[in-house]
Amino acid sequence: MRQHVFASSVRTPAKSPLPPLAAPASVRVNRRHFLKRAALAAGVAAAPSLIPGTALGRDGKAPPSERIVMAGLGIGGRGSGVLGWMLPEPDVQFVAICDAKKAQREKVKQTIDSRYGNQDCKMYPDIREFLAARTDIDGVLIATGDRWHALAATWAMRSGKDVYSEKPSSMTIAEGQKVVETARRYGRVYQTGTQRLSEANFTFANELLRLGYLGKVHTVRAHIAPWDAAEMSHAWLAGEPEPPKEEVDWDQWLGPCPWRPYNAAYVRGGWRGHYDFHTSCIGEWGAHTFAQCQVAIGAADTSAIEYQYVKNDSGDGMVTQFGNGIRMILNRGGWEGSARGWKGSCGVCYEGTEGWVSVADGYSKPEVSNPAWMGDFTRIVRDYIERTRRPMSHVRDLFDCIKSRRQTIATPVMMHRSMSTVHAANICMWLKRDMKFDPVKEEFIGDAEANRLRSRAMRAPYSF
Amino acid sequence: MLTKITLILSAALVAGATLLAQDAKRTEASLIAVLKAESSQKEKADACRELARVGTREAVPALAALLADDKLNHMARYALEPIQDAAVDEALRAALGQLQGRPLAGAIGSIGVRRDAAAVNPLGGLLASPDADVAQAAARALGAIGNAPAAALLREAVGKASDANRLAFCEGLLRCAEALGAAGQGAEATRIYEQLRSLKGAPHQVQTAALRGAILTRGAQGLPLLRESLASADYLMFAGAVRTSFEIPGPEVTAVLAGSLNGLSTDNQVVVIQALGTRGDAAALPALYGAARAGAKPARTAAIRAVGELAQPASATALVDLLADTDRDIAQAAQESLASLRGPIVDEAIMGMLTGDNASLKLVAIDLTSRRRMTTAVPALLKAGKDNDAKVRAAALRRAGELAGTSEIPALTDFLMGAGSGPDLEAAEQALSAVCRRASEPGPIAEKLAGLMAGAAPAQKGALLRLLGTLGGPVALKAVRAAVADSNAEVRASALRALGDWKTADAAPDLLALAKAAANPTDRELCLRSYVDLARNPDLPANQRLSMCREVAALVQSKGEKRLLLSALGSVPSLEAVALIGPYLGDAETKEEASAATATVAEQLLKNKAPAQTAAGLVEPLQKAAQATGNADLAKRIQEALKQAQNRAAKK
Repeated sequence: MRQHVFASSVRTPAKSPLPPLAAPASVRVNRRHFLKRAALAAGVAAAPSLIPGTALGRDGKAPPSERIVMAGLGIGGRGSGVLGWMLPEPDVQFVAICDAKKAQREKVKQTIDSRYGNQDCKMYPDIREFLAARTDIDGVLIATGDRWHALAATWAMRSGKDVYSEKPSSMTIAEGQKVVETARRYGRVYQTGTQRLSEANFTFANELLRLGYLGKVHTVRAHIAPWDAAEMSHAWLAGEPEPPKEEVDWDQWLGPCPWRPYNAAYVRGGWRGHYDFHTSCIGEWGAHTFAQCQVAIGAADTSAIEYQYVKNDSGDGMVTQFGNGIRMILNRGGWEGSARGWKGSCGVCYEGTEGWVSVADGYSKPEVSNPAWMGDFTRIVRDYIERTRRPMSHVRDLFDCIKSRRQTIATPVMMHRSMSTVHAANICMWLKRDMKFDPVKEEFIGDAEANRLRSRAMRAPYSF
Repeated sequence: MLTKITLILSAALVAGATLLAQDAKRTEASLIAVLKAESSQKEKADACRELARVGTREAVPALAALLADDKLNHMARYALEPIQDAAVDEALRAALGQLQGRPLAGAIGSIGVRRDAAAVNPLGGLLASPDADVAQAAARALGAIGNAPAAALLREAVGKASDANRLAFCEGLLRCAEALGAAGQGAEATRIYEQLRSLKGAPHQVQTAALRGAILTRGAQGLPLLRESLASADYLMFAGAVRTSFEIPGPEVTAVLAGSLNGLSTDNQVVVIQALGTRGDAAALPALYGAARAGAKPARTAAIRAVGELAQPASATALVDLLADTDRDIAQAAQESLASLRGPIVDEAIMGMLTGDNASLKLVAIDLTSRRRMTTAVPALLKAGKDNDAKVRAAALRRAGELAGTSEIPALTDFLMGAGSGPDLEAAEQALSAVCRRASEPGPIAEKLAGLMAGAAPAQKGALLRLLGTLGGPVALKAVRAAVADSNAEVRASALRALGDWKTADAAPDLLALAKAAANPTDRELCLRSYVDLARNPDLPANQRLSMCREVAALVQSKGEKRLLLSALGSVPSLEAVALIGPYLGDAETKEEASAATATVAEQLLKNKAPAQTAAGLVEPLQKAAQATGNADLAKRIQEALKQAQNRAAKK
């Protein structure tokens, strides 16, 4: 039994405030049986035309022994959206929520329980106790604040769990390296929340580039958030009395970050814009758009090598250069010399010798230099799905890969390398000078000060 | 409020440029002074943050003094960790004997990050700490240091580790093994992996991690273990082995994977086959061909897809053979994989099917030419457009249209003119339409098509008129205008529809004239509707649209026509439009639409910061609209707009 495999091997919390926990009866599974059945399901994922979905279980719902057992870690507004995509998947069962905030734990439990019509979702205030106690869980949905993404992912994978991590999935270059190293070491399935890699419009744009419609591509453009700045605040908000630990565990909320006094605004989402907690306007959307661009130009396993400092507060117009000669330009909206700009969020634009394609959220269809290309839209997306076996559903890709053990569309390496480009662009803006980066050694060339910003000492016990 | 740190930095930094050595030294001295002074926690934390960027060995004593500080120990490490100087290692090592609890666990973590080999022995002593955080941090730090002495300490300790500590100790050992393997000490790494593989109570992720390491570290000698694990009845070990195979390129591993297939269950076969595709080694092809031809259906399908994933042109022949499989799903999978292959050999195989005798294969080939964008196949597709099989003819022409350029227009028009009526004509028109939509210079094509009108039969004329409408432009418009007067009713109707669907306002005068003169009520309504549609086009200037509305206002008679006009007026943000709407507010048939149009125009004008005079002009129409409507929601909107208009007007 899976319980048996784990039982004697995991850390038991020294002072757990909770009674001993057993997995709910409905989710106790035999790990080997589950994974063996999963192999067949992997065949289903690969060949949907062969085995109807209903073969997985009655009424299209997989029986408990074949479901992927999931838990949420820190689910707020954004996480609720992802949870909303995951809950309807027939082969997935959420059984627990872990959050430093009591109100949030209860809210998410209610969502999960009302979905399943029971009261089975367990609540955990402490992530270390949760990971040690719930050895029955296959995967976690991590949607904490940015400061926790990489550490929680690493701890979860080390505990034998597969991971979905919201973006930006690292705060520093060193954090990304740890995620890559841990996923590789333990053979875990990991997916970062770059959903646009699983959306038809964005896929079409990437495929236009790959199939040569655009000719030789020389420039790609990545949207950065049009609010906030690259420079972030080091200020502390005014201290307020800390709430009881069971209401908000402030120490855990801060996690690996430097201590500062409690203020309710942080836990209500006001952590953005603070250096310790956020990756600036560049990371806010760049986590998506840099990933899109790097996948499109075949640079998902490397990072930009040059960064040109721009004299503004956001990085708008910064030119970065990749080793393959393609430049990626950061844009907040439109750009000089072109009427083109994005009318939605998280846009990308690819420009080649034969034309361009531009797409952002909310587009009914991508904008293209040659309208005739749109006639190929359906065919191109369909061929992509056939060729790659990637569904146009990010969460479905994750669950298929949890079963087949294949890498997801949004791998740790892709996350780390695109986030490295984000971090390097931020460092370029913070130090206000051009940078050169060695993507093999993963260090800035001839800039010791920049190299110091590749990592931050973590606050004990919240470390790798 | 400016903090001390801000002031220190602003004195030393000029717009963030690199600090000059002397400035840097002064800055560091000032920051150190903050640490030593009676500064606030925030000021000291900020000083540490800056020292992380600019600190040197000079800052180490002041920072080390804070390692035991309850509030600042983390920030002290924050500054110390990135300083590349042995003084930091000495300070952290010295602190090990003086700290406890979280400050100690933190210092251990920093030692690990810095990979201080001199700290191995003191860290080894901490593996037995009763504080789980400390013992676990020591294990992970030893792993980060990753040398043979660190490994020896962990190997000794792991068997005795408590349940709470075991995972961290295993993590430390895995880190050691990786470091030793990378340093050329593969034998030692292998010993660690084997110890972990046989460790009682090791969690499944440690077992599979150890298996992975044991295979990878052995290099070529690891293949028997890979083979053995692929045959394991334990799915976790099997899946771990497959996952590991992704990390070892080369035909040897491909051979092991391929060789395992026969002994596996169908479920496991699918997983291995997918791995063979994902690994990208063409040496897997013979095994995949075999698995594609015979066996359980899920495995066959997976194999066919893996063949496509490997994208070797030479696979075309095997896939073409599978197209004839009696199982439709298998044939379909083969077709999908064939579509993803590139290269002249594949094109040749597809051309072979296209020019052969088998109608089913011809249809598959026709589909593939389009999906693979085989422009070289256009002549063959045009030839297939004359095939005896009607399905082949229609499919070939449609696909030819997707791939053809303007140079193929004459050939396609020949098809159109000779097609008679029915599916062949539809296919020819569809092909030409696709080419017309892509044409960068529609003028010459319009000339060519217009020239064909005189000699065309009515059915062909209808098709030509639709194509001219697709092309647009003055030549096409002239030809369509002429056809409106054609003696054949079917042609006349086609011309009217083409005119009605015209994409630019060029057709507006014709539509208006025809609406005025039309004897047939259906034609009249078509022209009126098309004209008003053009008047609603937001790409046209508002003045032009208003003028078009004025022109047509005199013509509208029926309730439907009036409503149509009101919908157009509602899209023109001007007071004149409001005035034109006015009379319809008193008409029982149209008062609701007129009220809605008045509200929409007013809202638009107010949103666009209409001047006070314009706002004043809106007040009376809005009051009338408020009285006219019986719709509560609309009345609310109107009242809101009225209030805004009155306020704005009052400001003049």
